[in-house]
Amino acid sequence: MNYLLTTLTKKQEVDSMIRDTIDKVLVLCFGRASDSIFLQLDEILYKSVREVSKFATVALVDIDSDDVQVYIKYFDITLIPSTVFFFNAHHMKMDCGSADHTKWVGTFLRKQDFVDVVEAIYRGAMKGKLIVTCPLPPDRIPKFQLLYKDV
Amino acid sequence: MPIQNPNPNKKKKKHSNQDDDEDDTVQGKQQTQFEFCKVCRLNHNQGRRHIYFPNHKKALSSFLYRFQSKFKNDVAFYLKKPMPLRPEHAALNRLWCVFCDFDILEYDSSFACGNAIAHLASAEHLKGLKSFLWKYGGGMDRMDSFRISESDFTKWEKKCKLLKSEAAGGGSHGSLIGPLNDIHNESKSEYVNSFDKNKLDCLTSDVKCSNSVVPLQDHTIERSQISHSKICTVGPQILHAGTGVGLGARTPNGLPGFFGNQHYTHSVPKEGPAYSCPNDGKVYPYEGIAIGDGHSQGTSSEESRLQTQENGGGNVHSGAPPPWFSAAEKIQLDNKLNQGLGDLVSSLGEQMKTSKLNPKRVGAAWAERRKIELELEKRGELVRHDFGADWLPNFGRVWQSGSRKDSRKEFLGENKTWRKVDSQIEKPSQLQPYISKRMRTENTAE
Repeated sequence: MNYLLTTLTKKQEVDSMIRDTIDKVLVLCFGRASDSIFLQLDEILYKSVREVSKFATVALVDIDSDDVQVYIKYFDITLIPSTVFFFNAHHMKMDCGSADHTKWVGTFLRKQDFVDVVEAIYRGAMKGKLIVTCPLPPDRIPKFQLLYKDV
Repeated sequence: MPIQNPNPNKKKKKHSNQDDDEDDTVQGKQQTQFEFCKVCRLNHNQGRRHIYFPNHKKALSSFLYRFQSKFKNDVAFYLKKPMPLRPEHAALNRLWCVFCDFDILEYDSSFACGNAIAHLASAEHLKGLKSFLWKYGGGMDRMDSFRISESDFTKWEKKCKLLKSEAAGGGSHGSLIGPLNDIHNESKSEYVNSFDKNKLDCLTSDVKCSNSVVPLQDHTIERSQISHSKICTVGPQILHAGTGVGLGARTPNGLPGFFGNQHYTHSVPKEGPAYSCPNDGKVYPYEGIAIGDGHSQGTSSEESRLQTQENGGGNVHSGAPPPWFSAAEKIQLDNKLNQGLGDLVSSLGEQMKTSKLNPKRVGAAWAERRKIELELEKRGELVRHDFGADWLPNFGRVWQSGSRKDSRKEFLGENKTWRKVDSQIEKPSQLQPYISKRMRTENTAE
């Protein structure tokens, strides 16, 4: 998979990634390589990785691998692609106007959108906030329907 | 002047615009005659209401604060430590009592702030203070901070009497000098007493006893160089020009006294300022003098060179270590420096970084711990212990209601039940091909 960023397949890899990223935002994107939206997301991430490299690290997680299923359950990942943000091993939430604040569902329309989102997370984290508001206007945020857990 | 007319139902007879000074007894409460508020420095006709206005309150607090600071700094200090007052300082010790509108002068008092203390303890001042506070609303509970109680006053008087008696008895003169010399009182008392007899003796004894810095009696190396160079410059100017001592090559005008001069300059350190001129006292023209200057500077530099050579051929500017470092130590230092430099820079950089980062940021404590752990792992001191396979990061779940720890526990609990269910399901019945009923019945029939 040359055309993707560093893809993690094992829980231990994910763990070490979370634990070793200190004072930087960790962007974990869950998805599968066959999904076109995931590939589009990956394209945007690949272009922006270098620009955010000073304050963010980006990694992809393959949801088809067995080892990572724990995380998929833990993070309640049902829609693909889903992006979860971490800072110093703490999960960062973002209020995008949708029902689910714990992750970002879907892709980013532009590279700049991604950079803005990561910047907002970083700023909030540095101030000590665990939840931040999304800097993007609502038309740029992909909409999705969140299913209630028992449905 | 803008005048308030709060009562619209007033009778037309008594227009406040025209009758300012009339006492309005019918209406009574609303308007009184104008009076001057000393605190706000304002003419007002609000009567007793004025003291409750916020502007007045502010002005009053600053007013009282100013008086209180003077009181505390000067009067209270001298109350505790009475000191005799010199006439020249009397002019500075005046105090204006704001409550009594009375200026307290100290020209005829023997002690600092004596009159002021006496006034502040007196009954008249108390009366004035009370009336002021009632009139301007300062708060009657603060009275004691603006006056001196009788007990304090009597104590002060006693101290003053003691001082007087001491002074009369002719004890230490330290009291006359004032509080400044208290520390030195013991050591200097004997000098002061004998001051009239022998000033010089006092000075020298003072100098020796007080361990003060004694002016240099011997020239330091620099000074000796300078003095030598000065002497060198002076010498040729007066006696000879262009001596070129030691340089040899430049000897203009074929000086007869060349060798003598050489001898002269080298003999200068020994002879000191009282140098004799073994050479003939020829004064050469200006050129000679200029050249002489150049040469003399050359000589001084030579001398300095000689001396630095003794020191090891280096100085501060060349980066050489100071002479008190032995050679062996120097080598050790160099090695250490080279090794430590890299570490220093990196550690400094880290320190800078950590000092800049917000300590309130998310996961700050965890990050610091983790950094230390990583550093230890790098050094090899701490063996990397892998976190258990069950480690989960701090995550706030979607439908959670409690804290994040709760969400983790919840998840682990769910996980266990899920695993149990799984294991139970994992005993499935073996898969068998489908046999239709007809087939089965046929089989059984057969």
